[in-house]
Amino acid sequence: MALRGICVLELAGLAPGPFCGMILADFGAQVVRVDRPGASGDVSHLSRGKRSLVLDLKRPRGAAVLRRMCARADVLLEPFRSGVMEQLKLGPEILQGENPKLIYARLSGFGQSGRFSRVAGHDINYLALSGVLSKIGRSGENPYPPLNLLADFGGGGLMCALGIMMALFERTRSGKGQVIDANMVEGTAYLSSFLWKTQELWTQPRGQNILDGGAPFYTTYKTADGEFMAVGAIEPQFYQLLLKGLRSPGQQRKHRWSPELEMPSFLLSPQDLDCNLMNFPIR
Amino acid sequence: MALRGICVLELAGLAPGPFCGMILADFGAQVVRVDRPGASGDVSHLSRGKRSLVLDLKRPRGAAVLRRMCARADVLLEPFRSGVMEQLKLGPEILQGENPKLIYARLSGFGQSGRFSRVAGHDINYLALSGVLSKIGRSGENPYPPLNLLADFGGGGLMCALGIMMALFERTRSGKGQVIDANMVEGTAYLSSFLWKTQELWTQPRGQNILDGGAPFYTTYKTADGEFMAVGAIEPQFYQLLLKGLGLQSDELPHQMSMMDWPEMKKKFADVFAKKTKAEWCQIFDGTDACVTPVLTFEEVVHHDHNKERGSFITGEEQDVSPRPAPLLSNTPAIPSSKRDPFVGEHSKEILKEFGFSQEEIDQLNSDKIIETNKPKANL
Repeated sequence: MALRGICVLELAGLAPGPFCGMILADFGAQVVRVDRPGASGDVSHLSRGKRSLVLDLKRPRGAAVLRRMCARADVLLEPFRSGVMEQLKLGPEILQGENPKLIYARLSGFGQSGRFSRVAGHDINYLALSGVLSKIGRSGENPYPPLNLLADFGGGGLMCALGIMMALFERTRSGKGQVIDANMVEGTAYLSSFLWKTQELWTQPRGQNILDGGAPFYTTYKTADGEFMAVGAIEPQFYQLLLKGLRSPGQQRKHRWSPELEMPSFLLSPQDLDCNLMNFPIR
Repeated sequence: MALRGICVLELAGLAPGPFCGMILADFGAQVVRVDRPGASGDVSHLSRGKRSLVLDLKRPRGAAVLRRMCARADVLLEPFRSGVMEQLKLGPEILQGENPKLIYARLSGFGQSGRFSRVAGHDINYLALSGVLSKIGRSGENPYPPLNLLADFGGGGLMCALGIMMALFERTRSGKGQVIDANMVEGTAYLSSFLWKTQELWTQPRGQNILDGGAPFYTTYKTADGEFMAVGAIEPQFYQLLLKGLGLQSDELPHQMSMMDWPEMKKKFADVFAKKTKAEWCQIFDGTDACVTPVLTFEEVVHHDHNKERGSFITGEEQDVSPRPAPLLSNTPAIPSSKRDPFVGEHSKEILKEFGFSQEEIDQLNSDKIIETNKPKANL
């Protein structure tokens, strides 16, 4: 497997860290979850492929055990607020001083510095601070976070796993580990770069743009049996097939669905209709 | 940078592929975007740090140019439906036959096989097929996709970038490339594994659970000035701080986890939040563990103290603002280009020269319109 022989010490925490560790375990790493005494276990149930060690890090002898383990590990993954590891005398200077190859991954909500770095939070708060939450929600309603998927997992655990893989790759060249500041505010913002780069697609209030619920051809509809269909027919030729399937010949005349919104010109250029080479015959 | 010297050929497509390529470019890879003749460019504007070559892959001589380039590349990233590359005689058997070290990344919606693998779709469709869309939305409303963030980017571009990094790492041991089937249905499903593993958190209908809008302590509220605050006070000790900040007495209220009281509690909290402005609420809650934060707009996010102190947002040469690449690596951080995105075909000639094509070959390809060059007008 891709990560055969890679040893990961994952300090137990909530969803984002366990998901990151689970990805590494799924792809072959040896992942040890370090639980606190009296812990009820991984409440996120994302421990597939891991083993568990209970260790009291708050006691100097417990911290010493972890230090000794880190001398032989490839990756340490810690989910705490900024300063906690330093307080336990398990900060990067100490652990990488003893093992310069150690990749020290710090997966937090707000980051290792900054005004909120020692404050509690959850997915919804990180999503809010990233600006992304302000973009999500139906017209006329409050902003709505998509469960805890974007910050905890997209911009959190998955983004951290990417960083760990980059550090592992870079280490094959330099022989050295790094400290990774993987925080969910910045991870979620970066994941959503598209929103920043395509401001022309987001000129209307929340919920009234093409991709956030404003368009009749990019949303969900309820069926006769109370179930739902998803419609994503953006390009004109796909939209025509949608209309055909809905059997509404009267609507096949060209019409505007909203006077304020123009179909972006990039979707009308003949070459760009070729976006999937869909007029390329598949035999 | 982490990916110094890694050469990526990205076949132009919509959002997911460009985002994947942009991550690689941000972290130091040399990314060439291969555009079609007459293309209007990267409509997703996710081409930071890339160069552009226009190449007509539909013509055999054009496909041959790509084959020759792939012999020297580390990663090929293609965004097409299953079968398209094979039809162009640019499938993995051919390209990896010539370069066994090539990492062949296939970022599609539905995957390289399966009933829908040759059908068109977008984020909302992949999200729907993954099962995840059925979980997202307010009580009593239709399922609602969070823009195109989950499938196009989370389960799409980012997941593909992870796969590419795994393949690059594995190649340092085996010396060989791989084929990566990174599709957005499976990527989004995997990203959302938590939902499958914690079924006990999702027993109520959509929108009525703790984390999907059911709980009064995990949702957004409108303020007196029409703005919003985000509340995420799940743990009891954080919930107590929330009540304190709101000026409410917990002994006068139902228990935090009494789900039948949640609708009433939401109204109560909404009434309280509506009485003060966003700035006033920030005064009360900033720096506390109540898990209450402002819902920052794109205008506010750059100037918020926390983000400003960290430099979380960067400005390019054209005064465009975007998020700084994540995560932060201490020794080999991402160095995102500050230059404008490339014009289509801006670098065709220099790229081919770097890949070992002679001037005569390049000129011939250009005059036969196998490639196109579009040099921006010089500023004199």
